[in-house]
Amino acid sequence: MFRTDSPQAAHYYGRRVTQEGTAMGHGHGHSHEHGDHRHHGQEGGGSTELPAAFDTSVPDEALSPEQASRRSLLRRAGLLGAGLAATSVIAPAAAPAYAATGRRHTKGFLWLAGDHHIHTQYSNDGKYRVVDQVRQGARHGLDWMVITDHGNVTHSKIGVEKVNPDIRAARAAYEDTLVFQGLEWNIPAAEHGTVFVHPGRNEVSVLKQFETDYDGGVKGATDSTPANEALAIAGLNFLADQVKRRKVQDILMLANHPARKGIDSPHEIRAWRDATPGRRIAVGMEGAPGHQAGGMPANIGMGRARGLYDNSPGANSFAGYPLESYRTWGGFDWMTATVGGLWDSLLAEGRPWWITANSDSHNVYTDTAVRGPNSNYDVNGKQDAPVYGGKIDLTEGDYWPGQYSRTHVGADGFSYAAVMDGIRAGRVWVDHGQLLSGLDVRVSGGGRWSTLGGALHVKRGTKVTLTVDVASAGGPNWAGFVPKLARVDVIQGDVTGRVADRDTFTAPTAKVVKSYDVNRSTGTVRLTFDLGRVDRPVYLRLRGSDGNRSAVGAMGAAVDPAGPAIDVIGDADPWRDLWFYSNPVWVLPS
Amino acid sequence: MTPYALWSDTPVSDLRTADHLLLRLAAELALPEGTFGCTHLVRGDRPRVALSFTLPSEPLLRTAEERLTARGYEVTPGVPDAVGRAVLYPGADALTGTVTVGELLAGSAIDRVMVLGSPGQPPADQMLVTNSHVRPQWHGDELVLAAMPAVGGTLVPFEVPDPTPCCAAH
Repeated sequence: MFRTDSPQAAHYYGRRVTQEGTAMGHGHGHSHEHGDHRHHGQEGGGSTELPAAFDTSVPDEALSPEQASRRSLLRRAGLLGAGLAATSVIAPAAAPAYAATGRRHTKGFLWLAGDHHIHTQYSNDGKYRVVDQVRQGARHGLDWMVITDHGNVTHSKIGVEKVNPDIRAARAAYEDTLVFQGLEWNIPAAEHGTVFVHPGRNEVSVLKQFETDYDGGVKGATDSTPANEALAIAGLNFLADQVKRRKVQDILMLANHPARKGIDSPHEIRAWRDATPGRRIAVGMEGAPGHQAGGMPANIGMGRARGLYDNSPGANSFAGYPLESYRTWGGFDWMTATVGGLWDSLLAEGRPWWITANSDSHNVYTDTAVRGPNSNYDVNGKQDAPVYGGKIDLTEGDYWPGQYSRTHVGADGFSYAAVMDGIRAGRVWVDHGQLLSGLDVRVSGGGRWSTLGGALHVKRGTKVTLTVDVASAGGPNWAGFVPKLARVDVIQGDVTGRVADRDTFTAPTAKVVKSYDVNRSTGTVRLTFDLGRVDRPVYLRLRGSDGNRSAVGAMGAAVDPAGPAIDVIGDADPWRDLWFYSNPVWVLPS
Repeated sequence: MTPYALWSDTPVSDLRTADHLLLRLAAELALPEGTFGCTHLVRGDRPRVALSFTLPSEPLLRTAEERLTARGYEVTPGVPDAVGRAVLYPGADALTGTVTVGELLAGSAIDRVMVLGSPGQPPADQMLVTNSHVRPQWHGDELVLAAMPAVGGTLVPFEVPDPTPCCAAH
């Protein structure tokens, strides 16, 4: 009942989507290690298979409801049909000829929407079946999802194994959705993080061993001590070793809700980032946390803080963080939302560290299902299946995967490996409330170009131009209205090299260098920004909003005159304050 | 703050627990009006919360010290740092329900209210919903309450009485 096995649907095998113009250009390399781009095409989709929603030879009426939903989103972005090839509306018509001579990125990227932070009944505070979350994610337009139940002793003994058949069943039922098994790791000495593996024979055993030996909760290692910080690094080294020894094909780690409790210090984030230079495992953090409905007014919701960011400094928090860091700004984590703040200080080092946006879905706002009434998590390692509760639940603050938050990954095909490669490469942008349907970013100069996560290498003094093609919402979001993109900001900062103080969390040169009034909810718009002759290494990143709420940024009006405002306690309707953020692209003159 | 201060270490790492301990000690020791009781965050190999009491006079300080020592607490003169978070302070008990910023400043030892994300200070007639949990902090020699914009144009203290627990510590 979950998918349509029509004759047409079978045709998609062997086809390949090419969205020209979103490829990494030449000269990519920079100081990053990007891993080897292996494409084994196993376990639910190689890079040559395409979901039916992407395949124009499959008629609309042959699609399941989930596939049809995904296709309607692709149509809006101009990513379906004729537009899928070189003339895609979000691809510049005149792609440089040399792009065709590059390595394996010559055909462009498939932009796959996903969520790496999703809970199920195998979490002590969860409720839903795996298939509930996958069905909802697919319906809400996601192409990939990571199941991340909480690490704890019970989960390490029972849940990590029991969830796997459910995940494999969901993969089979939803062939057009990539479903990874992951873990919400209690990072020793720090916050939670997503750890997820490429599917394969050892996906469970590697996760189980990792959780047993390196989960901060399991090991009683949550305090912010040097010994526990070292255990976190040992855990990342263990993961890198599993890949090296080919136990699993790939593993990634991303820090979740990093500023929520002030316990992810700048030096810890840098230590995770730099821990496994041979194959980067820790590659980024949530730019926006889940629980985005947490600030809905008390008469219709939780009446708390957006993102459930309502903690304050404690004995385990980093002493240098200001109180402002404990709250969300336009729904985003302070580390990301502050221009000239922590994220910029990482990017100014010229090192990769990416952002994502996820649901953290445990219990969905306005859902009617409740946790199975006879659940005994400690004994069974899972909650009983949910049952109908007979009323609308206004006491929770989460959305379904894909309903509000999306992480868009430029993948080199529809496969598990391609999604992981795309995340590791930083070809990622994120949005809330379906504010955009497509984003194509490139910096070009000296006959070369590069895109998100990449670096443009040019001779000193080369003229460089940023070109951004934005496909606006083009249709209603899951709250029932067509969001309007009011403004797009270009943020630029100097690359100043490794910091001497590993607890640095400011970047003095980062600022909004250009703002564009877009004011569009349909169609596409091209923005160009002339960097002039570039004489020093810089990076650029993008941000935009619906224009509903803004405030002068923490570093002053000269740095960010209209950034996100702090979210109001008990009055933060997330649908009325929408933002998108892109990852950076570097320009490195020699 | 007066120099009549002492502090003691605790095995407690959770602020809410530390608050309860501080208030229980204050009651048991029958600390006089005008006493400040603060929490201090101790980081490092064993993250925990220390407690300090600042009393109005030296004799009162000595009495408190004797009573704490009698209960087995090891006390140290002074305060562990200059950024104590005040749980007990003159006027704290009256800060319940909704008050104006002017009433809060006039009726308690709090010197100033700052609002996160906004420059300057709120007007005296600005309403603040206390949630019966008002924890100002020392900034130099000023006791400052950090506040947040809240529903209906009100303010609430930055610190909430029941922060969302970390779901996984299990």
